[in-house]
Amino acid sequence: MHPARRSTLGIAATIALLAAACQAPAPQPAQPSAPQQAQPATQEREFITWYQYDETNTDPKSDERVGNEYLRKTIPLFNEAFKGKWRWVNQPQPFDQMATRLTAAVQAGGEVPDLMQSSDANLIPFLKNGVVQDLTDWIKAQPWFDDLDPSAVAACTGPDGRIYCVPVAMTPQIVFAWKDYFPNGYPKTPEEFKQVAEQLKAKGVYAITFFGSTAFDGEGTTRFTNTLIKSFGGTFDDGQGNMKLDTPENRAAIEFLREIIAAGYVHPRSWDGTTTPFIEEEPMKTAEAASFPTGIFGYRYVNPLKAPNGREYNKGNEEDMLDAITNGDVFIAPFFAPEGRKPGCGTGVTGFVIPNGAKNPEAAKDYINWIMSKEQNPDWVLGPGGGFPALRSMLPEIEARMPVAKAFYEQAAAAVAASECRPWYGTLERRNEAKKIIQTAIFKLVKEDPTADISAVLKAAEEEYNKGN
Amino acid sequence: MLLPIALTLLTSFKREADVLRKPPVLLPCDAPDGSWGIQHCRFVLEGYERVLIPKPAPGSLLGFELTGRMFSTYVPNTFLYAFSSAALVFILAGLAGYAFSRYRFRGRRLLLVAILAITGIPLLTNLLALYQMAVDLRKANIPGYDERMFMVLVYVGFQLPFAVWVVKSFFDTIPRELEEAAFIDGCTPLCALRRIVVPLATPGLMAAFLLCFVNVWNEFIAGFLLLTRREVRTAMFGMYDFLSQNIINYQVIAAACVLVAAPVVILFLFTRRVFFEAMTEGAVKG
Amino acid sequence: MATQLPLTSAQRTTFANRIAERFNQTLPLWLLLPTLLVLAVIQFYPGIYSIILSLQDRRAGAVEWVGFRNFERIFESAIFRESVGHTVVFLVGYVLVTMVASLAVALLLNQRLRLGGVYLALLFIPWVIADIIVGLIFGLLVVPEYGLLSPILSNPTLFPPKGLSIPSDPPPKPWIAGFPFPPAPAMVYLILASSWRALPFITLLLLAALKTVPSEIVESARIDGAGRLQLLFRIILPLILPTMVVALFNLMLGGINGIGLVFSLTRGGPGTATEVLSYLLYTIGFQRLEFGRAAALAVFMAVINLALILLTLRVSRVDERTT
Repeated sequence: MHPARRSTLGIAATIALLAAACQAPAPQPAQPSAPQQAQPATQEREFITWYQYDETNTDPKSDERVGNEYLRKTIPLFNEAFKGKWRWVNQPQPFDQMATRLTAAVQAGGEVPDLMQSSDANLIPFLKNGVVQDLTDWIKAQPWFDDLDPSAVAACTGPDGRIYCVPVAMTPQIVFAWKDYFPNGYPKTPEEFKQVAEQLKAKGVYAITFFGSTAFDGEGTTRFTNTLIKSFGGTFDDGQGNMKLDTPENRAAIEFLREIIAAGYVHPRSWDGTTTPFIEEEPMKTAEAASFPTGIFGYRYVNPLKAPNGREYNKGNEEDMLDAITNGDVFIAPFFAPEGRKPGCGTGVTGFVIPNGAKNPEAAKDYINWIMSKEQNPDWVLGPGGGFPALRSMLPEIEARMPVAKAFYEQAAAAVAASECRPWYGTLERRNEAKKIIQTAIFKLVKEDPTADISAVLKAAEEEYNKGN
Repeated sequence: MLLPIALTLLTSFKREADVLRKPPVLLPCDAPDGSWGIQHCRFVLEGYERVLIPKPAPGSLLGFELTGRMFSTYVPNTFLYAFSSAALVFILAGLAGYAFSRYRFRGRRLLLVAILAITGIPLLTNLLALYQMAVDLRKANIPGYDERMFMVLVYVGFQLPFAVWVVKSFFDTIPRELEEAAFIDGCTPLCALRRIVVPLATPGLMAAFLLCFVNVWNEFIAGFLLLTRREVRTAMFGMYDFLSQNIINYQVIAAACVLVAAPVVILFLFTRRVFFEAMTEGAVKG
Repeated sequence: MATQLPLTSAQRTTFANRIAERFNQTLPLWLLLPTLLVLAVIQFYPGIYSIILSLQDRRAGAVEWVGFRNFERIFESAIFRESVGHTVVFLVGYVLVTMVASLAVALLLNQRLRLGGVYLALLFIPWVIADIIVGLIFGLLVVPEYGLLSPILSNPTLFPPKGLSIPSDPPPKPWIAGFPFPPAPAMVYLILASSWRALPFITLLLLAALKTVPSEIVESARIDGAGRLQLLFRIILPLILPTMVVALFNLMLGGINGIGLVFSLTRGGPGTATEVLSYLLYTIGFQRLEFGRAAALAVFMAVINLALILLTLRVSRVDERTT
């Protein structure tokens, strides 16, 4: 062929290919019902949710397997229950991006879901940016409203007294501990902890592991730092929306942390989350660390387990931890606190928000009512929720249906009752920024430079945040 | 140089039990009694299976289909972006490169230097604005608009300047006498471009195409921030998704790395000459 | 745009040809138009937009003009100053390691290999691997206890006193207060990973330049009794200096703006040890959605970029070669 003609043909082919590529339809999400076959169902509309879980991820070892499995099981049930009305389409989002992406989508006209799984920590940022709908009138009219735990409702209430999220599960912070290492129960005071830790150290066991890295914009603040600081009587704010860190209580907590790190009681994995997120859970799973303070939802993730006595829990789902607790290998305890103080504990709720701009808020409301039913609620609370049911009447229901959860809930309830549980952020409004600043300061003080002046570093952190007020 | 790649390949073929050994073993070839031998080696495809998730599908060509999102959605998307952008860059850079190489017009020099200066403006600092543009376009509800088009446009915008330079320097090497002969034969400039110049400049144009293809394939942050729907996400976005879901499943992450990097590595190995020439042409001479 | 067509005289200007003629005379414009349009939309407009955005506060959905307050807040914040320090340390390390290693490899290759050989191509694979993937690969190698490099890193005789943990070891005490040097192991590792990826390209540039060094000059120098090192520093390096400068600026631009590796390898940690400007821009802009402040930072970075580019153009005298 003549070279010129060949190249012309080449260009033409390229353009044709390009045009074809641009017109090719996007790979559609799995559509259960073909449009032709369900002619009467043309009224059926899509109900779009954002979860951090992905029902199409069937990897049996994915770290989100519990939630993935829950959605896989539940989506067909919902579609069956609302046949001809709603078809549930879930759009998974990376867990550390959900709130940001929702804010961006609402503000900026992106694709907004009808409902998103959310914790109360996002509430103020959502309100400030006009992201979520006011649900007060609707939620108060629902039959299950009076059954909701008042503290859960309070967590969903904005400063204006209106309710902006629907609480389904409550997620306080607790401690998971191996019984073999703490035959006399979890230590009650820092002094007691140091004694036990010294004995464990002699056996080659670290007394504690926790989320100590600065990964995920300072997520460690909510998972451990808050528990420690609050147990020593400290806070992060001055009650007026300013950050206040340099207090005697906070300094005492940090001194203590420095001490136990220097003594070698803290598992080194606690800080390694930078390149490998959540690696601090590993020592707990293998019993190289004796205890693991974290959110109650941790039981979903910390599996499979291998007890110090050699017993293994290998189902690879949330039941491993429940089994270990029922068998008495793991127990749940409150954190310890100095003599005369109640242990502190962070608390929060997880539930749903309906964003502004949702196409089918009615679907979201149908869905919430469905989740609040006796049939569905236990599964959600134990699955994606990972905590106590916000509906008070549901606890016996869950225990009746899942006997294996009974011991877990009893111990967790006792631990929470023995602690003073509050949201970590107090009056701080820019919570993402605050979280990062706090965790960075703590990391600096205990890991980077254990000789640095505590007051100075805390003051600098305060200033950094307060400048933005 | 290849050590990290080799180690990743090795990891991707291990069993989970071998990946989680302490201390780590380079080759999982020890028998339970501690003896070491090639016959004991345990290499498996578990990692790859968990990325691809093949499921039997009687109707399909191979008897199974890959249901892992990475290869059912993300990689095809990435291919679409990379190919469309590269094709557009091929055409636009060809036209612009010809104009710069063959015509002397007012402002030519300034434009050329400006385009070269733009090469250095990173995608990152423009992202805030591009993000807002993506939003406005979505809000505008233009019929037939798809966010993938904007994505391709962004990629083209960022690959074009360098491509123009590469292509121009290739055109510069083609003797003008050939075109002049064509003019005498009654050819118009466009006809000369098509008949004479393009065929001779094909290596340069191909280089622009390939460079753009590889760069777009490997791009992460723009796709991560500008695309909203899961169905249109890129493979690099998919890698990020993947990471938060596989904390200690290193063999799976390694397998995903191998699979996503393989296409461009293979492409590169086959077309290496074009790459080498283009890079030295574009970067040393211009 | 006025044009002078080559050999227009060769074409007869008849009445019928006039329209075609008009088109041909403005041809360069038509050829350039699509490119210029795309660049205006994707490159020029966003630049202007960022500048406008940096003077506004849009946090609550409403727009408020705040003058230079966004810049003030960025420049005053401790994390910005830290990030500048980290960026400088990263850049210097990255440029030095890559340049020295590339030069060594290029000199070696220049003696033996032909351009385009299969081995050469294999050597160049890192260059086409995405930075996100490079980050993951390097991350896997240093996972404490499980990573294949961890036995070496945790060896206390190699790294006294207690071995190294890339993900969590903090930086040593700085020699100069306020400047993050010496860097944390994570920063060193980040530099090595980045250099690993950049090495092939820079090697290629230098290799191409080495090929242009006339062998007569090298020979005559050798006859004059120049030693190997003398030859390198007196003859070869000065000859390839322009290319080295291009490579240098290329590295700096990539180093300032690269985010994929930080994103997938360290996320700015441990602590703030690898928090560089590009990652800070991402967190402020897209994690906290503070567009005004982020835009101020983006403008700051864009100015540095432009300055670097213009310097490159000056030094390499490209603008003189555009004829």
